[in-house]
Amino acid sequence: MSESVVDIQGVTRRFGPKTALDDVSLTVPRGVVFGLVGANGAGKTTLIKHVLGLLRAETGSVRVFGRDPVADPVGVLSRIGYLSEENDLPGWMRVDELIRYTRAFYPDWDDTYAEELRQTFALDPAARVKNLSKGQRARAGLLIALAYRPSLLLLDEPSSGLDPIVRRDILAAIIRTIADEGRTVLFSSHLLEEVERVADHVTMIDQGKIALSAPLDAIKESHRCLTLRFAESRPQPPVVPGVLVWEGAGQEWTAVCRDGPARLEEAANQWGAQIVAERVPSLDEIFVARVGIPASAVAEE
Amino acid sequence: MRSYAAALAWEFWRRHRWGLAILVIYLAALLVFAAVMGTTDPSPARMALLASVVGTAAIPLVAAYMLVLVVFSFGSQADLASRESIYPGRMLTLPVRTAALTFWPMFYGTVAAASLWLIVARFVFWPCGMELPLVWPALLAASFLAWTQVVMWMPYPLPLLRAFAAVVLLGVLLVTPQLAIQLAVPDGVIAAVLAPSLPLAYVAACVAVGRARRGDVPDWRWLLALPRRIAESRTRRKADFTSPARAQVWFEWRRHGRSLPFIVGILLPFALLLLFIADSDMPDVVLNTLAGVCFLPPFMAGFAATTVSKANPYVRDYYGVPPFTGTRPLTSAGLVAAKLEMAAWSTLAAWLLVLIATPLALTLSGQWPVITNAVQSWLAVESPLRVAVITVLIGLGLVAFTWKQLVQNLYVGLTGREWFVKLTVFVGLAILALVLPIGKWVYDHEQVRASFRDLLPWLAGIAVGLKASAVVWIVRGLRRRRLLRDRTLVTIGTCWLICFVCLLGLLLWLVPARLAPWYLLALGAALILPLARPAAAPLALAWNRHR
Repeated sequence: MSESVVDIQGVTRRFGPKTALDDVSLTVPRGVVFGLVGANGAGKTTLIKHVLGLLRAETGSVRVFGRDPVADPVGVLSRIGYLSEENDLPGWMRVDELIRYTRAFYPDWDDTYAEELRQTFALDPAARVKNLSKGQRARAGLLIALAYRPSLLLLDEPSSGLDPIVRRDILAAIIRTIADEGRTVLFSSHLLEEVERVADHVTMIDQGKIALSAPLDAIKESHRCLTLRFAESRPQPPVVPGVLVWEGAGQEWTAVCRDGPARLEEAANQWGAQIVAERVPSLDEIFVARVGIPASAVAEE
Repeated sequence: MRSYAAALAWEFWRRHRWGLAILVIYLAALLVFAAVMGTTDPSPARMALLASVVGTAAIPLVAAYMLVLVVFSFGSQADLASRESIYPGRMLTLPVRTAALTFWPMFYGTVAAASLWLIVARFVFWPCGMELPLVWPALLAASFLAWTQVVMWMPYPLPLLRAFAAVVLLGVLLVTPQLAIQLAVPDGVIAAVLAPSLPLAYVAACVAVGRARRGDVPDWRWLLALPRRIAESRTRRKADFTSPARAQVWFEWRRHGRSLPFIVGILLPFALLLLFIADSDMPDVVLNTLAGVCFLPPFMAGFAATTVSKANPYVRDYYGVPPFTGTRPLTSAGLVAAKLEMAAWSTLAAWLLVLIATPLALTLSGQWPVITNAVQSWLAVESPLRVAVITVLIGLGLVAFTWKQLVQNLYVGLTGREWFVKLTVFVGLAILALVLPIGKWVYDHEQVRASFRDLLPWLAGIAVGLKASAVVWIVRGLRRRRLLRDRTLVTIGTCWLICFVCLLGLLLWLVPARLAPWYLLALGAALILPLARPAAAPLALAWNRHR
């Protein structure tokens, strides 16, 4: 893997009694689409704010392009394109003023690309930001985050503002283009279908801790979803090492397991159970299995 | 809590409990002071002194009343320039009748405002020998609050119309009783005139809240279409910004720069109106009016300054740096420099208005002879050079003072910590409440005044020592966090020293040695010139931006 763009080591962050990040270490390599997934309040935005230097690491270190974003905000921020979850573009600005103002900060601003994006997003240059719809504001935010072709694009919950068409077609296309050009995208989302569609690498955060971080293909390779039919009806599923979660009732139970299906297949043979279906689970199922109620909590001891 | 009235009362208390608690403590302190001091020795001389001390100690009551206004009109985090009602949208959807939505905030507010006066007048001023009327000032306080609520809750057809309506309506409400006092109208008549304004305000507020509830915001923006089109065509022709710093200055100007010129522009006609009322045999009124006009920009700059460091009210964290600003690839010092430059442009724009409007008003009112006579009288006792230099210095001093007023407390808001902002306001008011009565007491006693004069160099020396310590601490912080380069720090220090030497030279030339020795002037110059607080601004912003 090539050199890292973001390097986070042992970062812990507390807000009063709540631990938002708990000893988080993460490395984002250059040229990948890095998906950060987690439930609301899991710590995704807190992690992104550390990358931007908007939060200072209480413990541990954050390096972006090898620099400390707090000590050198200009050096780091001039290479980052950021779409905020808060959608806080100044309402009093017109779209053309927003473009004119933003381009002053970035020597690599590409006028042609900016105009192309403006037309794609159907943004009226004379419209005031406060009069734009939520989706249009998100498009305006995306425009100014993309138009200088940043080395690192940070998207904090882009789906929360964008309509399905932009989200599905345009955003995905843009993200892939950026990655193909060798630049890096780090985006957070709780819409796992979207992450599955575009991400190369997925990191799951749960209650401030990294639950899982690996390339998407490897994650999907290592998880299996198997449906077992037992000879008799069971009130609870059995405990099997490697099974993350059980779902079902009576004779038929479905398990999501990690590290391949071998152990579960072996256990099924022992109990005389029949495997009736086997497939690769979706990222959504893996996420729920990883950060939801653990299998041991519902399984019989 | 089963009723809307109880829930609303709880919300007011829960949200503003610290401010209201401080108000209660301050009132309690005043009451205890008046109860203890007011009855021990009722001799006329002592009562006069007590009245004077209590009178000045009660000055922060104005701030207390402002707090009551802000709390009960829901004005603490509102966009006053917008057309929409600032009545909280979430409350408009409650299953409560509009009459109740209007009544309870108005009831609580008017009762609080009237009680504030009644308690202070009856239990603080009266025991200290100040027999002030009770009823009509309480009614005035309540009316003023009720009409403020109307002005705040009403939707308007044009942006900024709320500010204009506030100045006119509330100005009338304030000026009318003063005129009545001047014309010796009996207290009962003033109260009889003020009393009906309360139910009228309630009706008007019901209309305002009802319209806000229906989303009925009249739109007359077509009136602004032509000027806007002209402005937009001018903007579109504008070239790109030459640097990020230029762009940021433009940003700050558009956000905050127009506040001071706007406030001064609204108040200036009212201030200059006295020139047209004063007769030719009332030179004092003309000169006092001009003095008032000269102090209008610095005085109003104190209010405008509160907006300069204000964060975006539309983001979740009202006091913090919005991500849009925080992620600009500009240093914290660069962001502060843009604010300082914007403040300079704002100051110049406000003074430009004064410099255009005042000669115009003097010409139209025919009051130029008063000014000519005053200058001639001055020339009779001073040399023309001295008169010219002093005039220029006063002018420059007022402009510099206006700028200083805009930026000196920038660091407070830039910290982004609500507790720090509120603590600073509280400490400022507490100091005011202590210093004013003590100052008044010193001024009234010849012997104490003489002792104070002897102590003044020491007090000034201590103040300079504190300022120097603060500067050292701030410079160390700036260097440690690498917010300013050493070269920039040396340049700032050199500029400050040059200004100090120039100011000291002028003071030594203007102030006779018998009035103040050179070292006192030097200490005064060191205290006047801003350094510590503006220098603390980048440190405060960095603390806020990188939390």
